[in-house]
Amino acid sequence: MADEEEEKEEAIKEDDHGLLEASVADIIHNAKRKRQMEKKVGARLGMMRHLYIILDASESMSIQDLKPTRFLCSLKLLEDFIEEFFYQNPISQLGVIITRNKRAEKVSELAGNSKKHVKEMQNMQQIAPTGEPSLQNSIELALKSLRLLPSHASKEILIIVGALTTCDPGDINETIQNMKTDSVRCSVIGLAAELYICKRMATATGGEHGVALDDKHYKEQLNAHIDPPPAATRLDAALVKMGFPHHALHSSANDSTMAVCIHAENSDESVKLLSTGYLCPQCLSKHCELPVECRACGLTLVSAPHLARSYHYLFPVEPFKEVSYSGTPSTCYGCQKILSQKDKKVYTCNKCNQTFCLDCEIFIHESLHTCPGCATNQDTYQRSTDRI
Amino acid sequence: MSNTISGKNLLRPTGLQCKNLQEYLKSRPPEVLNKLYHNPPICLAVFRELPVIAKHYVMRLLFVEQPVPQAVIASWCSKLHFEEHQKVVLILNELNVWKEASIPGGLPGWILNTTFKKNLKIVLLGGGKPWTMSNQLEIDSKPRDVAFLDSYALERWECVLHYMVGSQQQEGISADAVRILLHAGLMKRDEADGSPVITQAGFQFLLLETALQVWYFILQYLDTIEARGLDLVECLTFLFQLNFSTLGKDYSTEGMSEGLLTFLQHLREFGLVYQRKRKAGRFYPTRLALNIATGQNKPLSRDPEKEGYIVVETNYRVYAYTNSNLQVALLGLFCEMLYRFPNLVVSILTRDSVRQALKSGITAAQIVGYLQQHAHSKMIEAGPPILPPTIVDQIKLWENERNRFIFSEGVLYSQFLSQTDFEVLRDHALSTGVLIWQSERKRTMVVTKAGHDDVKKFWKRYSKGSS
Amino acid sequence: MFKMSNEIETSLLIIVLDVNPVQRIIKQETRILTQCLDSTIVFANAHLMQSSNNQLAVIACHSDGAKFLYPCEKPVEIRQIDGQYEKFTMVERTVRQQLQQVINEISLDKPLNGESLISGALTMALCYVARLEREKIAGEKIYSRILVITASNDSATQYMNYMNIFFTAQKMGIILDVCSLDQELTLLQQGCDITGGNYLKVPQLSGLLQYLLWIFLPDPNVRSKLVLPPPVKVDYRAACFCHQELIDIGYVCSICLSIFCKFSPICTTCHTVFKMPGPIPIKMKKKKKTIDIVH
Repeated sequence: MADEEEEKEEAIKEDDHGLLEASVADIIHNAKRKRQMEKKVGARLGMMRHLYIILDASESMSIQDLKPTRFLCSLKLLEDFIEEFFYQNPISQLGVIITRNKRAEKVSELAGNSKKHVKEMQNMQQIAPTGEPSLQNSIELALKSLRLLPSHASKEILIIVGALTTCDPGDINETIQNMKTDSVRCSVIGLAAELYICKRMATATGGEHGVALDDKHYKEQLNAHIDPPPAATRLDAALVKMGFPHHALHSSANDSTMAVCIHAENSDESVKLLSTGYLCPQCLSKHCELPVECRACGLTLVSAPHLARSYHYLFPVEPFKEVSYSGTPSTCYGCQKILSQKDKKVYTCNKCNQTFCLDCEIFIHESLHTCPGCATNQDTYQRSTDRI
Repeated sequence: MSNTISGKNLLRPTGLQCKNLQEYLKSRPPEVLNKLYHNPPICLAVFRELPVIAKHYVMRLLFVEQPVPQAVIASWCSKLHFEEHQKVVLILNELNVWKEASIPGGLPGWILNTTFKKNLKIVLLGGGKPWTMSNQLEIDSKPRDVAFLDSYALERWECVLHYMVGSQQQEGISADAVRILLHAGLMKRDEADGSPVITQAGFQFLLLETALQVWYFILQYLDTIEARGLDLVECLTFLFQLNFSTLGKDYSTEGMSEGLLTFLQHLREFGLVYQRKRKAGRFYPTRLALNIATGQNKPLSRDPEKEGYIVVETNYRVYAYTNSNLQVALLGLFCEMLYRFPNLVVSILTRDSVRQALKSGITAAQIVGYLQQHAHSKMIEAGPPILPPTIVDQIKLWENERNRFIFSEGVLYSQFLSQTDFEVLRDHALSTGVLIWQSERKRTMVVTKAGHDDVKKFWKRYSKGSS
Repeated sequence: MFKMSNEIETSLLIIVLDVNPVQRIIKQETRILTQCLDSTIVFANAHLMQSSNNQLAVIACHSDGAKFLYPCEKPVEIRQIDGQYEKFTMVERTVRQQLQQVINEISLDKPLNGESLISGALTMALCYVARLEREKIAGEKIYSRILVITASNDSATQYMNYMNIFFTAQKMGIILDVCSLDQELTLLQQGCDITGGNYLKVPQLSGLLQYLLWIFLPDPNVRSKLVLPPPVKVDYRAACFCHQELIDIGYVCSICLSIFCKFSPICTTCHTVFKMPGPIPIKMKKKKKTIDIVH
C-alpha cells in the first residue's frame, strides 16, 4: 500500500488552509486548457472508433476510497461516459469487458447504441467484485474482436484497473506486441497507483496512462477519452460506403412493414411494431433508429447530422487570445454581458477581433464550437466550411 | 366519532381565506366588471391571471370580429385535455371575457366581450387614452434608486407587521390603518381595555408571503373603499396601473382626482408608493405595488426580501440568519428560541412549540410554507425537497394529533317511546344519508343539521299515521 | 394556498429577425419589411403579455453582421402617450430605434449579399441563453426558445455552423422554431426536428401575425395541449461535397468524414490518399501499407 500513497502524494499539495480540493481543481483546470491547446485545425483524427472498456471487477474494487466503492463509482461514471461517448462519436462502437477471478467476461459486444450498454452497466451493480484480475486474458479477448475490423478503423482499449496485481497465463509482453501489430491503442486509468506494466503498455501502444486522484479527477480522466485520439499515422485511410436513409414517416401504401428494432430485440422487450422508421436505400429494409448497420445488407446507415456532429473535431475554434481588460468594448460580443473592471481578463478571437468574457470563451470552445464573431462576419463566417 | 353536539365555536379554525384576483372579480356584480373592463390595465391583469390555454384562446380570438363556433374552439384543444378545455370555458364565461353568440346557421358560438377586446388591444397595440399617471415630468433633481425604494417599502410594511405583533420597536401607524386591520379581522379590540390585539387570523396573516399579505390587505381595504367615499373602479384601475409600472421610475400626480390623491396617500402609508412630500407632484411605485395581483402563486423574482435566511436541519434545529426583530418574533410563534447572536438566531422545533402555534390557529401547512418560502439559498440549491422530509412529516403529525376528534354539527333525537319508533326514524335517516351517530341501546340518534328538517317532517308524518 | 413558491418559471423567447435588404420578397416590395417588423413586434409583446416572468430578446441579422435590438444597454426614457402598456411601448421603440441604427450601419462599400448570417445570430442567442442560465437564482427555471423569421434561403455555406448550433441547442434544451416567409428551408428544418421546434412556411404573408400567434406563441409545454400542425417530413439525406447533390448512398472519408458521391482515390478535404477498395479486408493485416500524408 505504501507506494500507492506515495503516488498520490506526489501530485497533491495542500493549500494554505491545509485543504486538498483546490489543488485537485487546479490539476483538472490545467488539463482542460492543455487539451484545448492540443486541438489543432485539420489534425487527422480517427473518427470511426472502436473502443473496448476493460473494467477491473476484482476484490480490490470494493475498497471504499472512491465512494461508495471503487466499483460502483466506476459504473456510475462509465454510464455518463458511454452517453457522452456516443453523443460525440456517433459513428463509433463500444464494448465492455470485465475481469475477475483471473478470467475475462464480455459484458457487451461492440455496438453502436448507447442504450444497451447503459443498461448493462446498471445490471452490473449487482455483481460483487471478487478475486484477482487478469490483464492478459481480458486484452486477448478484446483483441479477438478488434482484430477483425478493417484497417481504417481506429481500435482502442481502455483499461480501468484498481488492483495492483494481475494474474496472467502467459507472457504479457507478447500481448503488448500483439496490440502493436494490430495497431490497437491501449490506455489505462489506475485507481490505486501507477503500475510499471500498465505504463509500459500505454507508452508502447501510443495510449495514455493516468492515475485518478479522486472522483472528480477520475471523471476528468475518463472524459479525456471522449475526444477522438489523433489517428496513429500507420492507420489506413479508406472511403467507407454508407447509406443515408429516408425518413419513412407514415410511409406510403404498405404501412404494415415492420421496423426492425434491434434494441428492443436484444433486450427482453418484445419487438416493437412501428409504422415510422428509416428505409435502407440499398435493400429497403426498415430500421427504427440511426445510426445502425443494416441487418439485411450490412450497409452502415447514418443521417447527415450524425456525421456533422463530429465535424467540430476537425475544425475546432482556434484558441482565443487572453488580454487584460482595458475598458473597451463595453459588452461581451457573445452574451452581451456588460464588462467591467471586475473582468480582469477578456478573450479576443484572432480572426474576427471580437471580445468575449471568460464564460463565453469556455462555452464557445467546449460546447458551441463556433465563434459568434466569425459567424456574423461576411469575410470569416465560412472559416471551416470553405470546402462545402 | 364523537357524540358531541357542537356549537359553532367548537368547529376547527379555518384557514385564512384569501381570494385571488379571479375570485375577487367573479364576486363582483357583472356591471361593475364591465365598467372595470373599460380600463386597459385591468384587462391586462385579468388576462395574465387566466389559465394558459385560456390565454391562447383569447389571443386567437383577439383579431377575429365574428363569433366563432364552439365546436371549432373545442377542436383547438387536444382531446386528451378536454377537461381542461371545459374548465377554461367556464372561467371565461364567469369572468365575462367572452359571451355566447349564435352564428348565422344556428350554431352556438363565442365572441369576445367587445369592451374587453378593445381595451386588451389597446394595451398590446397602443391607441386610446394614456394612463392617468403618465404625464410628462421634469427630471427629478433627487431621483430615488431601486435599493432605496426597496428599503423604504420594506420599512413601511414591517411597521404594520410590527404593530400587529406588538413588538417593542413600535412606530405609530395611522388610525386608518388600524381600522383596516380591525375590519379585516386580523386584530380585535381587547375586551378589557379596548386596545387592538392580534387574532388567530392575524397570526396566519403574518406567516404569509409579503406579496400575499399586501394583496390580502388591499382586498380588505377595497371592501371599505366605498364607505370612504372613493370610487372603486377608479381606485382599482389606479392600483393596476401601479401593478404594471416600472420600478425606479417616477410618475406624475397631475390630473388625478381628489379621491385618487387620497387613495395615493393611503398607499403611501403602507409603502406601496414613495413620495417625498405630499404635494411633490410625483411619486415612485415600490416593489410592493408592482405585481400586486400576481400575489397568489408567482413570487416577485429577485425580491431582495426573498433572500432566504432560514436553515432547517434534520435534528429539528432552525437557524435564522437575520437581525430583524420581526422575523425573530415570527419564528418564535412556532419555534423555541435557544440562542441569539448579532446576525443569527438558533431555535428548535419541539412538539410543545408547534402545538402552541397550532393552538393559536396556525396550520401545519402554514408553518411548513413559511419555512419553505424563507429557506436559505443553500437549502434551495440542495433541494428538492428543500426542507428535510422528516421535519415536514413530523409537523404534520403533530397537527394530526390534535385532530383525533371530528366535529360535526347535528341535532340530537332521544327519548323515543318504543324501539320500533326509534328504528323507523333511524332507518329513514340512514337511507337519506343524514345520520351521524346512533345507539340502539340508548335509543338516541344524531342527524346532521341540514337533514334535521326533513327528519322532523318525516317524524311528524309518521307519528300522525301511527297514532 | 401554499404553492411551492420557490420555483420561478421563466419563459425566454429570442427572436432572430432577418432584415437583409436583398431578400427576394423585400426587393420586390420594400413595404414588406415594415409589415414583418410590425407583426414581429406585436408578437414579441404578445409573448411578454402572457406572464410577468416572461423574457424577450430580439436579434437582427443581415449579410454582414448581427446585433441585439432588445434588450439594449441604454434603455430609452419614455412617457406613454396612449393606452399601451409601458413595457410594450419600450420594446417597440427600442426595437425600431436599434433597427434604424443597424440599417444605417450597413456599409455600402461591400457588395450586398443575399446570404443572411442567421447562424451568427443564433450563436449569439445561445451565448445569451448560456449567460442567463449561469446568472439565474437558485430555484429558477428558464425555458428558452429561439424563433427565426426569415425570407432568405439557407445555403450550405453555413452548414457546419448550423449543425454545431443545432446540437448545442439540443443539449441545452433550447427549442428552435423557424418561420419562413419565402421558401422551404431544408437546413433549418432539420434544426427544428433535432431540437423539437416547429417549422412553418407562411402560405400568405398578409396573415403573418396570425400565423405567429397560432403556431409560435404557445410555450413548448403548452404545445402538447393545443392542436398544432403535424411535423413535416424532414429530408436528412446528405449533400455530397463534390457536387452538392443529395445522395442516398455515398462514400465517407474515414479520416475527416467528408461525403462523396463517387469513389475517388484522394480526399479533397484532408488530402488523404485512399487505398483502392480492396476486395478482401481480412488480408489487410498482413500487408500493412503505411500512408503518411503531411499537410
